[in-house]
Amino acid sequence: MTATIARQQIVSLLRQRTFVVLLATLIVMTALAGVLGWSSHHTIVGVYDEAVKLLASRGDPAPPNPFLLKPTLALLSNMVVYIPFIGALLALVLGHLSLVDDETVGRLIFSRRISRTEYMIGKIVGAAIVLVAILLASLAVSTISLAIVNRTMPTGADLGRLAAFYALSWLYLMVFVLIGMVTVLVTRRRSLALLSAMGAWLVITFAFPQITSGLRPTQSLNPIVDPASTSQAFFRFTAKARPYSIVEQYKAASASILRTAGTESTTSILRQVAPLLGLSIVLAVVGIGLVDRHDYSSGSNDE
Amino acid sequence: MGNHVMTETEQPSAPAIELEALCHSYGDTEVLRHIDLRIEHGEIFGFLGHNGAGKTTAVNILTTLIAPTAGTAKVCGFDVAAQRHEVTSRIGYLPADVRMYPHLTARENVEFFAKLSGVKKPSTAVDETFEYLSCSDLADKRVGSFSTGMRQRVGIAQAIVHRPQVLFLDEPTSGLDPVGVRQLRETIIRLNADLGMTVFMNTHLLSEVAKVCTTIGVLDHGELIYKDTIAATTERFPDETSLEDIYVRMERSAS
Amino acid sequence: MSESTARVKALAAHEYRAAVRSKILLVLLGILVTITVVSVYVAAVDHRSKVADYAAYRAAAQASGLARIAPSTLAPLSLLRGALEYLEIIGAVVAITLGYLTVSRERANRTLTLIRSRPVTAGELASGSLLGAVGLFTTLVAATTIVGVVCVGLIGNDWINAAQGFKLLLAAIAAIIYLGAFYCVGAIATANTRVAANGLMIALGIWLLVVLILPQLGDTLDADNQIPGGLFKALTLDRAGETEILKHFSTYETTRISIEEASFAKHYERFAFAMTEVQDKYRGFSLGRLLGAKRNDIGWMIFYSFALVFGLRWSFRRQPTIPQETT
Repeated sequence: MTATIARQQIVSLLRQRTFVVLLATLIVMTALAGVLGWSSHHTIVGVYDEAVKLLASRGDPAPPNPFLLKPTLALLSNMVVYIPFIGALLALVLGHLSLVDDETVGRLIFSRRISRTEYMIGKIVGAAIVLVAILLASLAVSTISLAIVNRTMPTGADLGRLAAFYALSWLYLMVFVLIGMVTVLVTRRRSLALLSAMGAWLVITFAFPQITSGLRPTQSLNPIVDPASTSQAFFRFTAKARPYSIVEQYKAASASILRTAGTESTTSILRQVAPLLGLSIVLAVVGIGLVDRHDYSSGSNDE
Repeated sequence: MGNHVMTETEQPSAPAIELEALCHSYGDTEVLRHIDLRIEHGEIFGFLGHNGAGKTTAVNILTTLIAPTAGTAKVCGFDVAAQRHEVTSRIGYLPADVRMYPHLTARENVEFFAKLSGVKKPSTAVDETFEYLSCSDLADKRVGSFSTGMRQRVGIAQAIVHRPQVLFLDEPTSGLDPVGVRQLRETIIRLNADLGMTVFMNTHLLSEVAKVCTTIGVLDHGELIYKDTIAATTERFPDETSLEDIYVRMERSAS
Repeated sequence: MSESTARVKALAAHEYRAAVRSKILLVLLGILVTITVVSVYVAAVDHRSKVADYAAYRAAAQASGLARIAPSTLAPLSLLRGALEYLEIIGAVVAITLGYLTVSRERANRTLTLIRSRPVTAGELASGSLLGAVGLFTTLVAATTIVGVVCVGLIGNDWINAAQGFKLLLAAIAAIIYLGAFYCVGAIATANTRVAANGLMIALGIWLLVVLILPQLGDTLDADNQIPGGLFKALTLDRAGETEILKHFSTYETTRISIEEASFAKHYERFAFAMTEVQDKYRGFSLGRLLGAKRNDIGWMIFYSFALVFGLRWSFRRQPTIPQETT
């Protein structure tokens, strides 16, 4: 039963124009990160060449090439920003689309021999598979960008890191897929569901980091996070919640995995990932509980 | 009940509604074909036809919501396409399945529409209208909690709050219970008798037409196949016992 | 009052009332207000210690009989930076939501037919709705500004003066115009799509591009931002050396700047930051000089706003009045 639901879900998502738009956006976003990485590489090399000439004319010694200071995967550092900002919004829409049409056909589904738990698990599995497919496409684009910019295929170790980063991103985005689903179940109108999901995204992405770490929104947009001044008494309480600020944990863990900012031990990375995993499980359980109580009798699908 | 709306230069000799070679199509589909129709002031006109015959399209044109593809349509002598402002100042409209703003009270809803129609003292007009329709008890309740019948009464209130000269009703009895249907019928007759409103009503219910209307028109596949007074109609078809039989006969002969 | 003005007024009042009764809008506003207050509070607490430090320095300098006391470099208005940024990002979402609700509400309730069967023109409908929305934004921005100023005064121990107050007022007006523009984006996108939820998604896509992606792109492409800590610093170059080198990258810089210019949000941000002394280089500028320096941003903001208001009128004029399924 679960497999039938998941399969039906995948087919129906693939047939929707919105899905194509989501996929295209993610691919463009990855390619953009690649182009930015290439441009950064190009700029650094260009500036360095000019700087060497300028310093030589002044009689100063040439500084070391700063590009050597940049880790190989730094090319993708923008992805660490794009996933929580753009990717998460796309994931919300994916979760939303997975359930919203069943507000009208739910009557037909549940008048058959299928339990609501089976149904919801099927939906989650279907969306998870679709998300894997989208991220695999993004991974392919990333690998190609790396090969083009560095003029050599990434090493096995780099590919491993890249894969780990995408696995983490998948987990992060699953949280938003589930939020997209849960908001359909707790609201009666399509738009209300979409806006509530958006509200949750705003809280996770902007409100939480502001409260726990004093990060202003423009600081949140930067892949390289400056430590904010959190010496105040206010943060003595709120900083305790920082491990649960999933966007901050995601960015920190990603930076460690990609080695773009410092290196952390595997255990500390796992500690950063734990709340993310916990939240996904909680949301999935909540979703299953909600679907059980959801009213599918009216067959109305108000905007 | 006083007239709350300022009227502009009237065209007294003009009929309430006048259609000349009116056509309308949606893409390649012709919905109305060369309709000629004249309805005088004070009439209650019942517009009959099966689903998809084009009745709602005709009302949409007469209420200026869509422009005709060809031909002319005039209300009180004003062209619906060229003189939208003059037309909309003189009409009231109750669409099929009227909904309104669920979070507002009945009074707030009707008052808003009264203001849009330029009623000078909207709150007095609303009170008078609710009283006239004997539904003052609904005034301060939110429309979202209303039954179909209650919503219909508020719908009529918004349609007449500015005392229009011509009232358009699109399938006004759909979804109403027998009591509601009777109340609506009485209201239409009163509006016509007390305020001299011309009423243009799209409907399926032939029994209602027989009890309320003074004139009927029958639309079939976009063509007006019949128009006459109720009295003349029953005289013309002496063999038929009811309007329903007459209607079926007309439809058959048309097809 | 002419009949048309009366109708626009009725539509504006209607829009405002519908907005304050919408739960989702209130929730979004709640999120916005909460984090704005937190950001201003945090900044104000920091500021208080700096004000105290300066007062101590001043007292010590006076006591030791120093003739020249360095003036304070503190800019109390800059504490509102967080508030302005949240209006830029979350405020825009609120504005889009309101624009979306304006159109979808009339469709879902089937009231557009009722409105359009009255003597109301599409232009009046557009003006009335926009005015109602601007009324709501004015309330929001005024509340944010007042709370901000009081926070800075009470917590930060630094009350702003009349000249600063006037500059803040200009920043607030820019914020209202900015939100009004995003309201138009939400309403235009919804009015032009058959399924209202798709319109909302399109508008949010535009928001993503204009508010997050374009400014972030411009910032990321900045040559100096390529290395943590600054590329030019890593190359041991001074300001003169930086200018010298950037001369070789003029096309690159033009591209980068035009990417930023394309974003309406960036213009609002630059203007508002200049007015509130967020950027050091504008501190101490007279108002005239400040406005002169920001004329480009003012021009772009006016251009975008006019284009969007015309777009709104155009969209309202051509959006189908009757539900699509009727014959």
